[in-house]
Amino acid sequence: MVSGRDDFIIAIRSAFLKKSTKQKFSLLTLAFISIFVISLSVLDFKIIRYTKVGINEIVYRSSFIVSIPENFIKNAFFQISDYTTFFNDYQKKKIELAELKSNYVSNEIIEYENIELKELINDYASSSNKLLAKIIVDHDSPFLKSIIINKGSKDNIKIGTNIYDRSYLVGRVIEVNYKTSRVLLLSDLNSNVPVTIAPQNIQAIVTGTGNEYGQIKYIKSGLAEDLMQDSIVYTSGTGAIFKSGIPIGKIQSFDQSVTNEYNVEFYSDFSQLKYVFAEIRNKTEIIKTEKSDEDKSDQVKNPVNAKLEILENELKIIEETNQKFQEENENLKSKVYELNLKFTDMNDQILSQKRIIDQSNVDIDELKFLKLNLDHGHKCRKSFFNSRGFEVGSDEYKNCVLSKGGLDG
Amino acid sequence: MASLRTKSSFLKFYSWLPILILFISVLNEFDFNYLNIKYFSFNFPFILIFFFTLKDFKNFDYFLVFIAGLFNDTVVGLPLGISSLSYILICIAAAYIRNITIRPNPVKDWFYFLFIISLINSFNYSILTLFFSLELNLMNYLINTFFTFLFYIMFVTIFKYYMKVLDD
Repeated sequence: MVSGRDDFIIAIRSAFLKKSTKQKFSLLTLAFISIFVISLSVLDFKIIRYTKVGINEIVYRSSFIVSIPENFIKNAFFQISDYTTFFNDYQKKKIELAELKSNYVSNEIIEYENIELKELINDYASSSNKLLAKIIVDHDSPFLKSIIINKGSKDNIKIGTNIYDRSYLVGRVIEVNYKTSRVLLLSDLNSNVPVTIAPQNIQAIVTGTGNEYGQIKYIKSGLAEDLMQDSIVYTSGTGAIFKSGIPIGKIQSFDQSVTNEYNVEFYSDFSQLKYVFAEIRNKTEIIKTEKSDEDKSDQVKNPVNAKLEILENELKIIEETNQKFQEENENLKSKVYELNLKFTDMNDQILSQKRIIDQSNVDIDELKFLKLNLDHGHKCRKSFFNSRGFEVGSDEYKNCVLSKGGLDG
Repeated sequence: MASLRTKSSFLKFYSWLPILILFISVLNEFDFNYLNIKYFSFNFPFILIFFFTLKDFKNFDYFLVFIAGLFNDTVVGLPLGISSLSYILICIAAAYIRNITIRPNPVKDWFYFLFIISLINSFNYSILTLFFSLELNLMNYLINTFFTFLFYIMFVTIFKYYMKVLDD
């Protein structure tokens, strides 16, 4: 090796500044350009942003093309391994499908209920449509866990757009280009998601670990003891970065006695993603009043006024109901009067009918007497031969006839 | 005549192969990550750049190396310029060792390579955590450095064979 200070300087100068015949730039120039580019990427100038978007578009597409052979081999490998476990998977899926079908109906009801409640709280209906996006670059880098999708600002993708694999959360968009976007996966070290852990209803934050699982962090001391294996982790919606109620994973295999770490096994396998859904959210106002914008903002700003208005509305509704009740009451009263009239009529009818019945009873007695009189009258009538008899028409005579000629009465 | 032209164009393509492989590797991130071996990763561009700069390969344009760095940043999602600076620093280090070395020794180069990539990875880690507030796993960097160091000898053998074919 060359010794001495001069030789060292010569070597350094030669390394930094000397351009061989083929080189267009010296290494020192390129190093300075690199530092300049890094400094520019820190500053968020519009022109730099657009240049970056342009570079990203070209590089992502090139990367997709270059990765085709590698992806082909990778996919072939996964397909072969899929075939080997095909039957077991099929059996498992069959059971899962049956369970899912039974859960589907109740889920739908809950969903509708949820929408209704949200509308009541927020005064707007949040409609969302999911956009199918293809993953064009997924390198599973050991440092940063991110994917590139083939949807960008052209398709209304924005920074923060939630990305799903089926109904499971995968990550969110952190960089948007015209026709491509970068998605930060939940497994990345820089990913933090506010979550709720069910059924314990514990609030926490899930951070990425750089591996296939996440980790529960920032959990209130004491609550951690309530965590159970297979507890469901879903987004809480705190911070409004992620929509609430999106399933993420379940608490898995932790040894509380050894460490205070709680791992989350993601429902989605990030290494197997081919297509994802980007959720485009639209907010539409559901209450349209004729009030001016100023009034509206006042209402938002002053919750007491809003509450009073709600109470006034409630009072109005109660008054309206009262009036309806009163009207109904009047109707009922008139009906009662009519019924009373009918009742007296009926009573009269009953009395007259009773009288008829009594009369008919009397007639029946008379008939009976006449019949007996024919048979036994001669026994009771006073005559020359029957001195013990009675005068016809007297009570004794009647009694004698009724007792079938018994003169003793 | 036609065969001569074919041979000449093939030779041209062959002599540009290192740069082509560099671009393919940065666009493809050639590190076998899909094997899902925990922590396993290595930085192929570091090996390639260090070797061909050390050998002062005629078709190894530093500007193209710089561009490859920009491509790598875009693919990985790092701030633009980080990888370019790393690659240029490797070039500078390799050019320096080439200038001060009279009798090249592969083992010395190998350990010098370890020193350089450790330094550059530390530099990268520091910039990303301090200036860009990115959370990175230091263990991943250490393991990446270690495997890149290990694979150096293997790739150097292949590159030497490539150069021998080119010389012939």
